[in-house]
Amino acid sequence: MNHKIKQQERIAGWLFVTPFCVSLFVFFVYALGRTLVYSFQSFDLFSEATWNGIANYVALLSDPLFALALRHSLAFSIVVTTLQTMLALLLALAANKKVRGQGFFRTVFYFPSILSSAAMTLIFMWLFQRRGVLNQGLGWINEHMGLLLICVVLFMAIQTVQFLMGRRRYQWVRWGDPFHFLVSLLLTAVGTLILAGYGIGVRELSEPVAITWLNTRETWGPLPRTIWAIVAMNIFTTVPTLMLLYLAGLQSIPDSLYEAAELEGASKFQQLRYITWPRLMPVSFTVVTLGIIGTLQMFDQVALLGDAAPLESKITLAYFTYHNAFPPGGTPRIGMASAAALVLAALTLVMVLIQRSVGVGEKTND
Amino acid sequence: MTELNAEMKRELAAVRRRQASSVILMYGVLLSIATVLMGTFLFALMASIKKDPLEQPFQFWFEQINPVNWGTAWKLGRQGGQDAWWGGFGPGGDVTFYLSYAAPTTVELEDPQIEVPRRAPGTGMAAAVYRDFAADHLANFQVTREDGPNFEVTNELGVAEEWHQARWRVSFEHDNEGPWVERVPLYSLAPLTQVLVDSTLPPTQLERRGRVASWENITPGALGYVFNNYRRVFKESIDLNTGESLFVSWFKNSLFISFGRVALTLLLATTAGYALARLTFPGHRALFFLLLISMMIPVQVTFISNYLVIRDINLLNTPWAVIMVLVVSAQVLIMKQFFESVPREIEEAALMDGAGYFTTFYRIILPMSKPALITITIMAFQGAWNDFFWPLVLINSPTSAFALPVGLLSLRNAYGGAGDWSLILAGAFMSTVPVLILFMVFQRYIVDNPIASGSKE
Repeated sequence: MNHKIKQQERIAGWLFVTPFCVSLFVFFVYALGRTLVYSFQSFDLFSEATWNGIANYVALLSDPLFALALRHSLAFSIVVTTLQTMLALLLALAANKKVRGQGFFRTVFYFPSILSSAAMTLIFMWLFQRRGVLNQGLGWINEHMGLLLICVVLFMAIQTVQFLMGRRRYQWVRWGDPFHFLVSLLLTAVGTLILAGYGIGVRELSEPVAITWLNTRETWGPLPRTIWAIVAMNIFTTVPTLMLLYLAGLQSIPDSLYEAAELEGASKFQQLRYITWPRLMPVSFTVVTLGIIGTLQMFDQVALLGDAAPLESKITLAYFTYHNAFPPGGTPRIGMASAAALVLAALTLVMVLIQRSVGVGEKTND
Repeated sequence: MTELNAEMKRELAAVRRRQASSVILMYGVLLSIATVLMGTFLFALMASIKKDPLEQPFQFWFEQINPVNWGTAWKLGRQGGQDAWWGGFGPGGDVTFYLSYAAPTTVELEDPQIEVPRRAPGTGMAAAVYRDFAADHLANFQVTREDGPNFEVTNELGVAEEWHQARWRVSFEHDNEGPWVERVPLYSLAPLTQVLVDSTLPPTQLERRGRVASWENITPGALGYVFNNYRRVFKESIDLNTGESLFVSWFKNSLFISFGRVALTLLLATTAGYALARLTFPGHRALFFLLLISMMIPVQVTFISNYLVIRDINLLNTPWAVIMVLVVSAQVLIMKQFFESVPREIEEAALMDGAGYFTTFYRIILPMSKPALITITIMAFQGAWNDFFWPLVLINSPTSAFALPVGLLSLRNAYGGAGDWSLILAGAFMSTVPVLILFMVFQRYIVDNPIASGSKE
């Protein structure tokens, strides 16, 4: 009887997974195997494939474009993963504040994540045009640099004066007192407006800021400026998604921990450092893993740039693969593409493994 | 005693003030973040209705958002094409348009040369799209001059000058034989000495130091005036063979792909998720392991073989290819996790009663899984709608077979070079509409569901 049930369950199990298995095997397992085979062959999608040993890998090593793509992919992955993880945590901390309208703020914060990469990339490309809004904004900041500096100094001064005056009356007043902060903000705003009215701290630029963000070969640090623009686009859309993960993590931390810390006299920063951060370790692990996987396969933004940027300043490993498989107006080099694809896969696995071993571990360190 | 009391009261008030301030500051921070995140989108939305989104400097107040112009455009739309919303110029059209010029009294006010030019607006494919011109179907074209009162102007040197002005009334009718035409451009050439001070609608363009004022369309209708760029997306990206709007085909293709993906995802993810959560069968662990690996490997690693498989079964350039090619591991995982949270007793009772596995699954488990099903439906739809890679690889021709994101790329290629960003931005915004609707309706399923969002990438 029992045996019969087992037998039935086995058959039912197989039947249930069959549809998914077909999809998984055809479009993943078989595909992965074929990529492996092609990486040792010479093939152009149409004529018969021929074996050529490790020639593709050798060709990869001597291809300067591949070295460039590899460097870009690595740097992009590290930069974006780091930035987006920090920003996602900050955003989650903000969204987790218990205030009225919390739901509204969460919805708005999440909003950038729902849009397609295509729409988002086009919007950002518009922002990043030479005559675009970003350059105009930078120009404005440049013009008002003096005023902005005065503004900061003024704020600090007013805040300090208030602090010294407040200290005389109440011992518990701190420099960052919220009431003083608000007053300083108000006074600074009025002061700045008056100064601006007299034209103090404002200068005329001899020519407008015209940084070429996309169609350029210049590099800043490890990445071409074009990819820095993509970094901005990418972070903008991924941070809200990752914020949700952190939010769930934050909600699972019991309030009693904070209450106890409060009683012990721990500051907000100490609470963040010794309660929130260690408790969020498992979430950070997920966020970083997803970040690495996601950034290494970043493709859409590069492809959507199209002829708006030179190949050398936008290429990544994922795009290198595509570019070799479907070169515009050339013969497909499937062997090269497959070899590069496997390098990409290996890189992903290695980076995830490194991340596992370097601290951002799965366990909470209580 | 009373002094001490007063002291305490004052201190209490000070503490209260601080609490209130800190709430206000917190809202300030939250609103600032919201402004940055939404601001970019709203900024671009604003730019998408401008004539030139790259204008320098960027204006926050411009003719398309001025309600006075909406009213005028409405009226002119009705005069031209009997359509207050979308305007045009058709039989029965009878349009009146005014232009006022002014000049110092020391110079003569000359009649400007006013005409309806025979030219197509826009860039890209526009020239091939607009074949009928208002200029060819005008009747009774009249320009009459009415002199207005003099007025005083203080010039740059601070000296008061006497100016005079005149208004030209332009009127024309449709010849009642020709076809309906979408727009009526207008052009006015005046000597440099006189200035265009007013017109029924502000000119779209001033050229040659203000000598030439031109209007892209003086019978736009209210919507046609504000959403001109949006209309152009439909009108100007057409399949030159069939005359059908490409944007509409892309939109339909994307809808088809998205619904197909949702259906397939639901089928695969529920069955596999259930089996992995509940049933023991040989290969269970291996399958689960493969599933996790498949979520880690970039699609660029497997796309060559998938492209060839699709080519071998002759589905290249069809939406079916894009529907079937995706491996829905993330959704399987979500369903597995959900089914594991369902108490076992429920199905065990059903199984005891002699119901088969399939009946139990279909009749008992699935109806209970609504929240999870909605979650993966939203994920699948959003993922499919926004997917760029697979449509790019699997659908290459004809242009009308593209999915929307790839269509946007081809719009950008066609218009970006010419710097015509108005049309590109308008296209980008329209492409987001279905996902926006989905987001608004199912907000709580998305924002409150960390599992779904976590495994999206």
